[in-house]
Amino acid sequence: MRVQNSAPEGFIALDNSALIYPPTEAVYNANTFRISLDLAQTIRPEILEQAVHDLMTRCSYANVSLHKGFFWYYLSPNTKEMIIHPEGSYPSGRFFFKENNSYLLRVVYSTHRIGVECFHALTDGSGALSYLKLLVERYCHHAGIADFSFPGGLDFEQKPTSQEFSDPFQHLYDKSLPSYPKISKAYHRKGFGSFDDRVKVISASIKTAQIKERARARGITIGEYLSSVFLYALQQLQAEEIPKQKNRKPIRLSVPMNLRKIFGYDTMRNFTLFAVIGIEPALGSYTFDEIAKEVHLQMALAQDRKRLLSQIKRNVTGERTPLIRFAPNILKNPLFKLLSDFLGDDQYSGVISNIGQMVLPPELADSIKRLDFHLSPGLLNKVAIAVIGYLDTLAINFTSFFNEDRELERLFCTFLVEDGIQVTLSTNRNTDR
Amino acid sequence: MAYCVQCGVKLEEGSKQCPLCNTEVLLPKGVQEQPSEPLFAQPLPPAGMGGITKTRKGVIELILSLFVVSELTVALSMILSGNVAHSFIPLFSIAMAALSLILAFSNKPTFQRQASIQFLLAAVYLLGIDAADRNLSWSLVASPALGLLWMYVVFPSHARISKAPRRSVVLVVLSTLAYLALVNGVLSGSLTWFVPVALPSLLVLVVLCWVFLFWFSRRRNKSIPLADIVLGTLVVLFLSATVFDLFLSKYQRGVFILRWSESLLLSGLIILLFLVSVSVSRRVRRYFTSHNRHS
Repeated sequence: MRVQNSAPEGFIALDNSALIYPPTEAVYNANTFRISLDLAQTIRPEILEQAVHDLMTRCSYANVSLHKGFFWYYLSPNTKEMIIHPEGSYPSGRFFFKENNSYLLRVVYSTHRIGVECFHALTDGSGALSYLKLLVERYCHHAGIADFSFPGGLDFEQKPTSQEFSDPFQHLYDKSLPSYPKISKAYHRKGFGSFDDRVKVISASIKTAQIKERARARGITIGEYLSSVFLYALQQLQAEEIPKQKNRKPIRLSVPMNLRKIFGYDTMRNFTLFAVIGIEPALGSYTFDEIAKEVHLQMALAQDRKRLLSQIKRNVTGERTPLIRFAPNILKNPLFKLLSDFLGDDQYSGVISNIGQMVLPPELADSIKRLDFHLSPGLLNKVAIAVIGYLDTLAINFTSFFNEDRELERLFCTFLVEDGIQVTLSTNRNTDR
Repeated sequence: MAYCVQCGVKLEEGSKQCPLCNTEVLLPKGVQEQPSEPLFAQPLPPAGMGGITKTRKGVIELILSLFVVSELTVALSMILSGNVAHSFIPLFSIAMAALSLILAFSNKPTFQRQASIQFLLAAVYLLGIDAADRNLSWSLVASPALGLLWMYVVFPSHARISKAPRRSVVLVVLSTLAYLALVNGVLSGSLTWFVPVALPSLLVLVVLCWVFLFWFSRRRNKSIPLADIVLGTLVVLFLSATVFDLFLSKYQRGVFILRWSESLLLSGLIILLFLVSVSVSRRVRRYFTSHNRHS
């Protein structure tokens, strides 16, 4: 397999946004996410294995392993059989590639669930979702549940295209553009009590119609509404933590944006940039409607093509700087580890990723019990929020490293309840069931 | 399904408390809920996997890479300048410095662990640079000295040891004796002055310390005045020095005589007499206490 013309056989360069993930992988920094789907039928592992085997050719973008080169980490085709794993006790934790036959994508299953856990260096949410859709398609086909194909999913019968492997960041790099400006440090919630690297989940299910109605009343989208609630909750927490108004730091959120629709690429690699949206509590307290207005305007600006191109220019320039390009990995890796907070996590107070509404084929609608999307939290921002929509439900998953502290989740959910949205909770925390 | 009365959220069936605020779920009498399917196949394990954080890993990798670069640079410059024979000490020093930093960053930042590691590395380092000429000499005294210092400074801070202070004292005394024996053995080839001089002097010192500690601990007034501690220490030191002088003269001249410690002995005895009289006679004690003087 040769992807870049200049690259040696079997060498696949990491895409621009994936470069940071392998060197920074550590405890509290798993750089993974999980998308899962619960069927009404009981999952049969032997059939799932067959379905996974089916995808070996079609989803060749996932059949790779990660290697440490002299200058950069790189991917190369993996010919080993992909293995499936029974589901553990929490999602999107660290996983060891060696235990997964060196694959960066891990297929998990439980009684009713099929899930895909992915290391971010391989692909983003859209790429993993495409894999999961095709996997469920093949599983249902072999299990005799139904024959269907997901709207907008990959076609199993087609051969993988070269665009699936492409790194659009390199195509969109424009040397003449000015770089996107760097922003200051944001507020990071300290929280209370102990924390460890187990991912504690609180899952909130709400009716899409209810939240849609509340968002529409304010003239914003569901994603913007949820980001506003997150900012509002963080503002309350910061006001408690820092009573003096002028000492309060900006509260910002990192909101991943799928660039495929904006730039029209069909890549299965990472093609996401982060909209950093926020408020300045040092200027005064914001009402929810003020936050919603700010978020709406900032999201519109963040999705502007010109600004995105400038952001891409900044990111790709880093990779192309000769000093970085030709520095050996042994020097580059520790610097990436030490600077990644400064360039990334430091700039925002939380992550909220909305993968959107998953359109299900009618044949599957009755078989779906639930859908979930989970992000791995980080050491600086110990709570992350992931959102996915299916049928008439929206699943909001809070993943956290905190053992006792659930203030952020409580403020978020109680706001929704006060705004007239019914919230149903489930958790893997001990509630003495 | 129950609702949390605090948060207003709907809880999954069978919940005993709200996951957000821990408010207990109270169901009407006679109503029982079936436990719902758990969110994940297995319950949360009691503890996390742990490991080294990203920043620590980064620092360790940076030290490692700088170590490799500096070792190569030094090695090359030594080869090019024709000083290969003298390259062991700089290369060994860089390696030990890197190891020291790596172990400092990769271990728990507790005084006991960090100090123990650094003491051990310093001892190995001294042995290493002494061994550069393939002959161990002064390091056989210096490295165990660090071990003795560890016994005095770090060992007593161990949680288990601090619960049994007597055992700690015994071990510290034994290690001091062992160190003195080692020094004697290394410098003279046999235990020449250790048995006739060091051993009895140290034993007298320990016995005197024990007598004073026993005496002070048996006092009615549990808080011992600072003056008593200072004076008691002086008595112990003066009398121990006298005993040392006695045994040293016996070792050197073959007779027990006091050569330089008469004044120390006299001072020690006067202070001891004072301490005893203050302790025994209420009148003397009252005379010397500030309370009586002022009133």
